[in-house]
Amino acid sequence: MKRIIIDREKCDGCLNCNVACISAHQEGSNFYTVNLQGVDSETRNFIKFDSKTGYTPIFCRHCDEPECVLSCMSGALEKDPETGHVQYDETKCAACFMCVMNCPYGVLKPDTRTRTKLIKCDFCEDKKDGPSCVAACPKKAIEVKEVSL
Amino acid sequence: MKIVIIGASAAGITAAKTIKALDQATEVVVISKESIIHSRCMLHKYLDQERDEQSVSFVPQDFFEANAITWLKNTRVLGLNTEMKTLKTDGNQEISYDKLLIATGAAYFIPPVPGLREATNVYGFRDLKDAQLLDAECRTAKNAVVIGAGLVGMDAAVALLKRGLNVTVIEMMDGIMGLQLDEKSAQTYQTLFEGQGASFLLSEKVVSVDLDKAHRGHLIHLASGKTVPADFIVVAAGVRPSYDFLEGTAIQTNRGITVGDDMRTNIQDVYAAGDVTGLSGIWPNAMKQGKIAATNMLGGSALYTDRYALKNTANFYGLTTLSLGNINPEPEENCDVSIRQDHKNYQKIVSKDGVILGVIFQGDIRNTGFWQYLIKNKINVSGIDKSIFDLSYADFYGVDKETGEYHYAV
Ligand SMILES: Cc1cc2nc3c(=O)[nH]c(=O)nc-3n(C[C@H](O)[C@H](O)[C@H](O)COP(=O)(O)OP(=O)(O)OC[C@H]3O[C@@H](n4cnc5c(N)ncnc54)[C@H](O)[C@@H]3O)c2cc1C
Ligand code: SF4
Ligand code: SF4
Repeated sequence: MKRIIIDREKCDGCLNCNVACISAHQEGSNFYTVNLQGVDSETRNFIKFDSKTGYTPIFCRHCDEPECVLSCMSGALEKDPETGHVQYDETKCAACFMCVMNCPYGVLKPDTRTRTKLIKCDFCEDKKDGPSCVAACPKKAIEVKEVSL
Repeated sequence: MKIVIIGASAAGITAAKTIKALDQATEVVVISKESIIHSRCMLHKYLDQERDEQSVSFVPQDFFEANAITWLKNTRVLGLNTEMKTLKTDGNQEISYDKLLIATGAAYFIPPVPGLREATNVYGFRDLKDAQLLDAECRTAKNAVVIGAGLVGMDAAVALLKRGLNVTVIEMMDGIMGLQLDEKSAQTYQTLFEGQGASFLLSEKVVSVDLDKAHRGHLIHLASGKTVPADFIVVAAGVRPSYDFLEGTAIQTNRGITVGDDMRTNIQDVYAAGDVTGLSGIWPNAMKQGKIAATNMLGGSALYTDRYALKNTANFYGLTTLSLGNINPEPEENCDVSIRQDHKNYQKIVSKDGVILGVIFQGDIRNTGFWQYLIKNKINVSGIDKSIFDLSYADFYGVDKETGEYHYAV
């Protein structure tokens, strides 16, 4: 499967990946027109800063054994057997947020506006160029690579 | 090989799916007393009419056909013969197995209060059938009483309020969701429920129920002397693992079917998973146990070592809460309690000697998944030079250069 491989040392905290993620999930926007302030401007990836360790990119791993899928009581979260990616179906979700509790890396969150759906990385599966965050990273701190399952 | 699974819920379905994903050739038979697959965690969405019989399912409608699994629905297992490796159903069928998974979960318990068990309008809130019976009551009733203000009771209350009923919740503890919340976070939810019309009778015990001529309970007497009128009553006072049909077998039980980390019982080729083991009472753990049992039934070696089950989330009226571990420590436990709050959030972290024992996050629960890891693995965080509220997975970041998977560098 394809996974976003992270090189923490290369990240310099520019947050282009955040912007790209928000834009990718904001209909009709691009890197320059994206609204970053709206309550719906949700990023699915996170850059944490610490004065000692610097910047740490935290991105959904689409885990081999995804704890989020093994929490889901509605069938909304599934690991696609073909792509290996963990996909979320908003129409099935019942907003219990057991998945938020169970992702060991704290990647998941409820949507800020309504708390009725989950905000989760979808690997930009609908975009032919792959994950928007990767395309936007000027440092190649995140790159898509093929990994064996 | 033929694997028979009793139960078609979190543990049973996950096991069936896992077996078929690992080995198409294994014959899988799932037996369940219900004829509609449903997620209990969504029952309130059925009762409040947001979802129907199909949309309370947690598997696609063609799940059994698509996976070539035989499903014996509307079928109750009555007995088991572990020597002959057969089981008996209420349709008088005898079904043989090579390996058996018992995933029969739990059933609600009605306390032995005079009138309560006899009344014909007293319901649990566990199965779709219960929600359907309640739905019928909602069509004519005005006053609903919920006994028990745990998560299940509050799920029922939410739905009944949405149906426009007068809802009174009676609870023995002095706050709602007493196992998951502390005084402050419980009060916030209580106020939200009251805003929707609910009344609460806390620190109250039901002592008897008066029945009318039709044997319907219509007046509830409390230990304090108060009385509450009811058109029907929902009892959410706890559950008991369901394993009556083991009678006459040598399968060991102790408030649940006893299993090892591999989900095997003491009897060859018999496994158990989910609420029926008494190891946990939440959906994710039942799924995981089902998956582990399935792996081992096919000769694998998976272990249920992540037994942590003191965890829950709640989402009522758009207010989300995460609750983990020991959140109401006794004074003699000498814990450190850190609290941070603003008008929208209440956060509480209980720790001792640098090890986090429990947390409540009410309001914003985003990115809180890592707390469970810290608590269940007793990670000492005292060496990290920042506010405990600012911890994140980044403080324990570890990544496998080859696979890109994360782990905890601790
Ligand atoms: C209202 C409600 C809300 C909940 N909300 C949440 C939540 O938000 N998050 C969470 O984590 N957990 C929640 N839970 C708990 C969760 O639903 C259970 O932990 C989970 O369903 C356990 O799954 P299980 O597969 O072990 O057993 P169960 O779900 O109890 O299923 C048992 C299965 O066995 C079948 N069965 C039993 N006896 C027989 C027999 N003799 N013959 C044939 N079939 C039989 C039943 O029909 C059923 O298919 C909730 C529970 C309730 C009742
Ligand atoms: S949300 Fe968390 S558990 Fe689920 S696949 Fe992503 S990293 Fe893994
Ligand atoms: S919030 Fe939705 S996706 Fe997450 S576990 Fe609950 S039902 Fe599944």
